[in-house]
Amino acid sequence: MKRSWLLLGPAGAWLAVFFAVPLGIMATYALRPRHVLGGVYPGWTATHLSRLFEPLYLAVLERSVVLSLIATVLALLISFPIAITIVRATRWRALLLFLVVLPFWTSFLVRTYATIFLLRDTGAINQVLQFLGIIHDPLRMLYTPGAVLFGLVTGFVPFMVLPIYASLEKLDPALLEAAEALGATSWRRFLRVTWPLTLPGVAAGCLLVFVPALGSFLTSDLLGGAKVELIGNLVQNQFTSARNWPFGSALSFLLLLVVMIGMLLKLKLSPRLTTNDQ
Amino acid sequence: MTRRLVTTIAVLGYTALLLPLLLLVLFSFNASRSGARWDGFTLDWYARLLHRPDLTIALRTSLIVAVTSTVIATALGTLAALAMGRHRRRAAAAFESLLVLPIVTPEVVAGISLLILFSAAGIHLGLVTIIIAHITFSVPFTIMVVLARLRGMDSSLEEAALTLGANELTAFRRVTIPLLMPGIIGAALLAFTLSFDDFVITFFTAGPGTSTLPLVIYGMVRRTVEPSVNALSALLVLGTTLLLIVAHRWLGRHASGGIA
Amino acid sequence: MGSLLASCVTKREAPPANEAALPATGPLEGELRIFNWSDYIAADTISRFEKEFNVRVIYDTYESNEEMVAKLVAGGDGYDIVSPSGYLVPVLIEGGLLQPLDHAVLGNWSNLLPLFVDAEADRGGRYAMPYQWGMTGLAYRRDLVATPPTSWGDLGASALRGKVTMLDDGREVLGAMLKWRGHSVNSIDRAELDAALRDALAVKPNLRAYLSATVKGQLVSGDIAVAQLWSGDTRQAQLEESRIEFMMPREGTLIFTDYLVLPRRAPNRRAAHAFLNYVLRPEVAAEIAEQTGYGPVNGAAIGRMRRPVAAPDGDMLSRLEFQRDLGAATDLWDRLWTEIKAG
Repeated sequence: MKRSWLLLGPAGAWLAVFFAVPLGIMATYALRPRHVLGGVYPGWTATHLSRLFEPLYLAVLERSVVLSLIATVLALLISFPIAITIVRATRWRALLLFLVVLPFWTSFLVRTYATIFLLRDTGAINQVLQFLGIIHDPLRMLYTPGAVLFGLVTGFVPFMVLPIYASLEKLDPALLEAAEALGATSWRRFLRVTWPLTLPGVAAGCLLVFVPALGSFLTSDLLGGAKVELIGNLVQNQFTSARNWPFGSALSFLLLLVVMIGMLLKLKLSPRLTTNDQ
Repeated sequence: MTRRLVTTIAVLGYTALLLPLLLLVLFSFNASRSGARWDGFTLDWYARLLHRPDLTIALRTSLIVAVTSTVIATALGTLAALAMGRHRRRAAAAFESLLVLPIVTPEVVAGISLLILFSAAGIHLGLVTIIIAHITFSVPFTIMVVLARLRGMDSSLEEAALTLGANELTAFRRVTIPLLMPGIIGAALLAFTLSFDDFVITFFTAGPGTSTLPLVIYGMVRRTVEPSVNALSALLVLGTTLLLIVAHRWLGRHASGGIA
Repeated sequence: MGSLLASCVTKREAPPANEAALPATGPLEGELRIFNWSDYIAADTISRFEKEFNVRVIYDTYESNEEMVAKLVAGGDGYDIVSPSGYLVPVLIEGGLLQPLDHAVLGNWSNLLPLFVDAEADRGGRYAMPYQWGMTGLAYRRDLVATPPTSWGDLGASALRGKVTMLDDGREVLGAMLKWRGHSVNSIDRAELDAALRDALAVKPNLRAYLSATVKGQLVSGDIAVAQLWSGDTRQAQLEESRIEFMMPREGTLIFTDYLVLPRRAPNRRAAHAFLNYVLRPEVAAEIAEQTGYGPVNGAAIGRMRRPVAAPDGDMLSRLEFQRDLGAATDLWDRLWTEIKAG
């Protein structure tokens, strides 16, 4: 079976035709004059590219990056304790893992929609707080930037928990015991032993939260009430309301550029990028 | 102290993760149309789903798309993983690092680039274009899952079979494939769910008469007043739960942990 | 790749596929594919048509005009009927995306009110059949407001802070602000638009969100007290909650007619015409108008409606305005809309 590397062919060809080529065509679209109905005219222009550098669009990009970074950090702060809890659990381990995997496998659209029940004025949180007499008027949670953040964090937390759990699981308990025997406090043990050894999982998790958060448009539509414009909305709007495909293509590449930067950072954090991180 | 903090955060995290789904299921049984308060138990919203032929059609479309794309993506993924698992060739290594690109490309970009491709090539949008799109986003995942299993596998069994005189094909069929099976099934399950749940990419690649369930749900979420959309969503959540439990039983604890 | 792009561009300039006269009688064949706004037809219209004409109908829905156009342009042109708003009709005709109607087989055409047939979108209805009309106005819960709104300016009333929404549509938001200052909803005047942008940004802190049809549920549940909304969607919400009212702001507002048209390469012209003629029947048009809450364009249907749709009186009529395509100014409007949302 010396030639078995040829088995790469079908998948490779498939991804070349349906992943690489479309991006290539999209790149040329970003340089074409806009057709009034959508699509493009022949010819070349740099107007769409230069439009990217207008402060308006850069501000939207900046806000999206900041929001996605905050979502990533929050997701990490929640995910590590969850992953540790799962690893520590013995009897309930399977169940705890299952409860993280369930949302992971459930439609993102459905989960986002479900969040509305929690956050709206007449939603569960407000009803409970009002019933307990803690508040009189409902808290305004739905259609705020906070709601978008909540949606992004809860939406993508499973992507963070699972890789961290995977690297924690592989951790040799003997190492921790040794550290403990040597008198390290729990924080020290965490910082010196656990954290460095789980860093690849953390890096993978961060990337898996940051990227979809950056490209999301459903969350800000459904939970942000379209008041929080993100780069994902901007891209989508060029195709579903502004009929400006070339500018939408240009914005897509701006988005891809940020994603690539995120990926390079991740590569720096974990030198070996393999499936073990998954 | 630290331990208590960890547990507290974990409990809060689980609550934020699961409470919305729980509420959704609960409210699908709520007699109140506006859902602002609990007006008693009802199955009306579920009964109403039966009177919507478009949902049956959408479910069928979703299943056709998910099954077809799963079969093809799993086949492509398994072949590629076999090649990559056995060879430390440069090409294979390079391919592996390139595989991350489709995974990290935002869905909205991937969907639009495919829309542009189909538009430029004059391909009519429809079942075929959705299936193509779904295979494209599933393949990198199926490769990675099968590859992970392959690398975790004990190659000595295969070598033993070869030493004992089995030819390569027999060894492959009788030893490698069965050992790889949990990985292949895991990959298929992942591909199936990715496809069945996908909204964004399908939104851009669907054509006449090929609305999948998530597309119909999106329309209902955006416009409809009545809570039958809650019932439909709750059914999806329950369906996912059942699928997971079955998969868990079937694959055993370890393999399903592996896919996740 | 060059040839791919060329084919994409030339594809649209090909002559109409088929303008041959249609046979008036005989059974229909194949299936009919309709792409319509969601919640924009009566519950039984499709199934009754299927039964009577013995043809299978594939029915898909969309949430915005541009979403539909993107699909038409990108090769979703397997549809036989789509439903664009009036402002889009001339653009679609000019872009060569539509085919002319065969009036010889539209026997019920005379039921249409002349007012709508002779509208600017497509005078005489060569390509487009008027379907329904509606208005943008303010939907409000009379139990949740101290005084009913009367003007677009009331969206900024501080008493309503956080209980108000506007539509998630740049044309509507800027259009309302333009109307408030007495300008046209189709303005391309830079100063007028800049003022509208400032007004929209000033109103924004008062708004809970930009929501389109989604707001119906929030009005019903009482989360929202006042919403910029379309007349028909308000009627749909009223069926759930009778304390919801609809009003047209005194400065005037936007009126729209939606049409049914055949894409140039519609595969089943005959069935499409049969469906158009079916919708032109007074009882069918009445039922659709009744259930969607939008106004009938069918004169014969009006008398059959149990709950007629309120029409604007003469005074208000003069302050209503149809939306037009913005042409080259589309980018400017989109930029302003982005500024509002990002602001």
